[in-house]
Amino acid sequence: MRILTLVRQVLDAEESVRIRDGEVDLNGSKLVVDTMDEYGVEQALRVRESGVEAEVIALAVGPERNQDALRTVLAMGADRAIHVMTELMLDPIFLSQVVAQVAQNENVELIFCGGQQADWDSHALGAATAERLQWPQITWTNGLEVHGQTLTGKHDAEDGSETFSVELPAVITTQQGLNEPRYPTVPNIMKAKKKELRVETLEQFHIGPKLKFLSAEVQAKTRLHKILDGKDAPAAAAELVRLLRHEARVIA
Amino acid sequence: MSIPAAATIKRVTGGSFLIEDLRPEDIFTLEDLSDVQKEIARTTVEFAEKQVQPQIPAIEEKNFEVTKGLLRRAGELGLMAIDVPEEYGGLAMDKVTSALISDKIAVCGSFSVAFSAHVGIGTLPLVWYGSAAQKEKYLAKLATGEWIASYALSEASSGSDAMNIRTQATLSSDGKHYELNGEKMWISNAGMANLFTVFAKVDGEKFSAFLIEAGTPGLTVGPEEHKLGIRGSSTCPLLLADCQVPVENLLGEVGKGHHIAFNILNVGRYKLGAAAIGGAKYAFRNGIRYAKERIAFSKPITSFGLVQEKIADSGAGIFAMESLVYRIVGAIDASLAELDKSAPNATQEIQKRIEEFAVECSIIKVWCSETLDRLVDQMLQLHGGYGYVEEYSAERSYRDARINKIFEGTNEINRLIITGWMMKRAMQGRLALLPAIQRVMDEVMAGPSPREERSGELADQHALLASAKKLSLFCAGAASQKYGAALADQQEVMGALADMIMEVLVMESTILRTEKMQGRSPLAAKMTKYYAARSFRVLETAAERVIGSVAEGDMLRTQMTIYRRLAKHDAENTVALGRDIAVAMTEAGRYTL
Repeated sequence: MRILTLVRQVLDAEESVRIRDGEVDLNGSKLVVDTMDEYGVEQALRVRESGVEAEVIALAVGPERNQDALRTVLAMGADRAIHVMTELMLDPIFLSQVVAQVAQNENVELIFCGGQQADWDSHALGAATAERLQWPQITWTNGLEVHGQTLTGKHDAEDGSETFSVELPAVITTQQGLNEPRYPTVPNIMKAKKKELRVETLEQFHIGPKLKFLSAEVQAKTRLHKILDGKDAPAAAAELVRLLRHEARVIA
Repeated sequence: MSIPAAATIKRVTGGSFLIEDLRPEDIFTLEDLSDVQKEIARTTVEFAEKQVQPQIPAIEEKNFEVTKGLLRRAGELGLMAIDVPEEYGGLAMDKVTSALISDKIAVCGSFSVAFSAHVGIGTLPLVWYGSAAQKEKYLAKLATGEWIASYALSEASSGSDAMNIRTQATLSSDGKHYELNGEKMWISNAGMANLFTVFAKVDGEKFSAFLIEAGTPGLTVGPEEHKLGIRGSSTCPLLLADCQVPVENLLGEVGKGHHIAFNILNVGRYKLGAAAIGGAKYAFRNGIRYAKERIAFSKPITSFGLVQEKIADSGAGIFAMESLVYRIVGAIDASLAELDKSAPNATQEIQKRIEEFAVECSIIKVWCSETLDRLVDQMLQLHGGYGYVEEYSAERSYRDARINKIFEGTNEINRLIITGWMMKRAMQGRLALLPAIQRVMDEVMAGPSPREERSGELADQHALLASAKKLSLFCAGAASQKYGAALADQQEVMGALADMIMEVLVMESTILRTEKMQGRSPLAAKMTKYYAARSFRVLETAAERVIGSVAEGDMLRTQMTIYRRLAKHDAENTVALGRDIAVAMTEAGRYTL
């Protein structure tokens, strides 16, 4: 079985976002593999380690620096990697077209992708990929088992959980709790150097995104520095309530 | 394992930085890390931040089960096998990688010390001097963290004068055992170690080393010390009372234990510097994050100049530490690169080549420990009253940093080594220091000469560096002229000369690193300028101290004239530079380039 696991490189959650010339400036910032995608990689490795004959292929679509993320995933244990190089910012619906094509070219039967992309937060990529391939998907997965061609997945519901089963091929979107992703060990980092990292260009796919990115800005927080005179406490309290209700409009 | 970047690094001899000028491409910098090294660094950071950091309270309470568990985990990740040969379960990788791990793991002083004591002084004696049987028996266990190692040299009455140990070893009449008697003090990892490297004198005179397993009858680990800092690390005395050590556990040869004791120190010293970088970055980040949130006079305190000054000085200090440590460790790797590691004398050759950098290792040790000390003090100060209470990590960083000026050879001993080693090499004719001194003397005697003009953004810093080298040579010449071989007894002068030599190496490392970045980091250029100004002030103070103590009357006036001529330079606007550096660091919320 071939498993495709999607890898996106995002800004570390601890880093602050900087904007230069209308674009997010990642220069000098710490970039990491999207945590949600890490769950997918880990789960793919666990499927392989459970005794299923499987090859784990990592896929990244983006600029050259994405190869750092792919190397991390190869060092975690993925068998090989494909990098579709592009400088364009891609929306999930377009991205799903690339993912679906790669999945077909590689004869993949199972796709893992992060349930919630740290950079777009659209939750659409898994669904759109499944739709394009006409495959079923299990979403928000936080528990998964593979028996032959059957997958059994679980996800949390309001006050408990729900369990589903599908026959392969299928798309699985992940969420926190699915597993505890491993870190690459030093020996595996060294082995990863010898693994295949195939670079392709977006042009080879003969498709282009319809959504164009225009600009980004960071919301500037400015303080109003309004200080209420507290000598007359009841009057100050009344004034505060009035300001919160009518100016800030945070209470009804 | 070879790193492609190291191939271009120039092979240099120890101490040559004072008399030779290198080009940026001759030195190794952090920007030259290979993908593999970056990936290993990332794994180490993940481990340190996600597994070690949450356990800091338990570590600090001396819960050694937690520490041992984390060391075991580090072993599983391969982080403790870097310096161990492949045939004994190790990875036999380069020294930059091993320094990088020491750097990234140092988010907690106590854990960092336990880790370093294990992989450095704990494991390396066995790697370098162990017999095949000893390595077979112990090395794989140490590389995986299944066993913890400890190194026992110091005694209550012998610290810096390590050769004066009193612990005795006597061969039993049947020739099967050595019987050890004595007491060791301040032994790192003692409370959790499975294997001790213990130094003793056979028949009261032959300095030797022994491998002793925990639980050996006659070996008792004393109570934990109550320490100022690194409280979560284990530090105990060891008591040896008729302790029977099998003869096969003699490490190396009888009477040659001092090679083991001293050669290990060079590695310990550069690794200490690497760990200081990690500790400094951790304290720096916590300090900045606090200061960004702290409002006074309705503004975050990071907007005030005297706060910015501390951030700038600390940030530039980290930049300089990185430049210094990785340059030297990269140079060590370059010198080990084409070594045949399977040759029978390979381990001796490795030590010899590392020993070549003894003076640089001592400089790293002294300079990084003191820079870290200043940084943790400044970061604590940013916290105001909160810095003085245990609720914030600033006070722990402050306490933990202090030990670095004491262990791995006190900074006093290391300052004497720095100047003494250079002088010794000069006398032996192995370092062309005397001709260089002569050239400076000739130049100053010839009267004022036009300043060497360099182009480029760091032209002024190059001029400062050239002056720094000349001043150091001039002062070294003046001091040796006055005292000759007796200079070694003038410790204050030796210390001042060491300060000058250190600043030359650090300043040069920052300049070359920045130039190698080719304008990619405007911040690096600013920190280089900021640091060079500070560095030169240190140099001037030290130079005056040397000249004032070696000359008087007309001679003093002449030498001061020469000094002023050599030291002539324009003032840099360090206030403006400092503000720029602080704003960039504050925006990033951590050390950044």
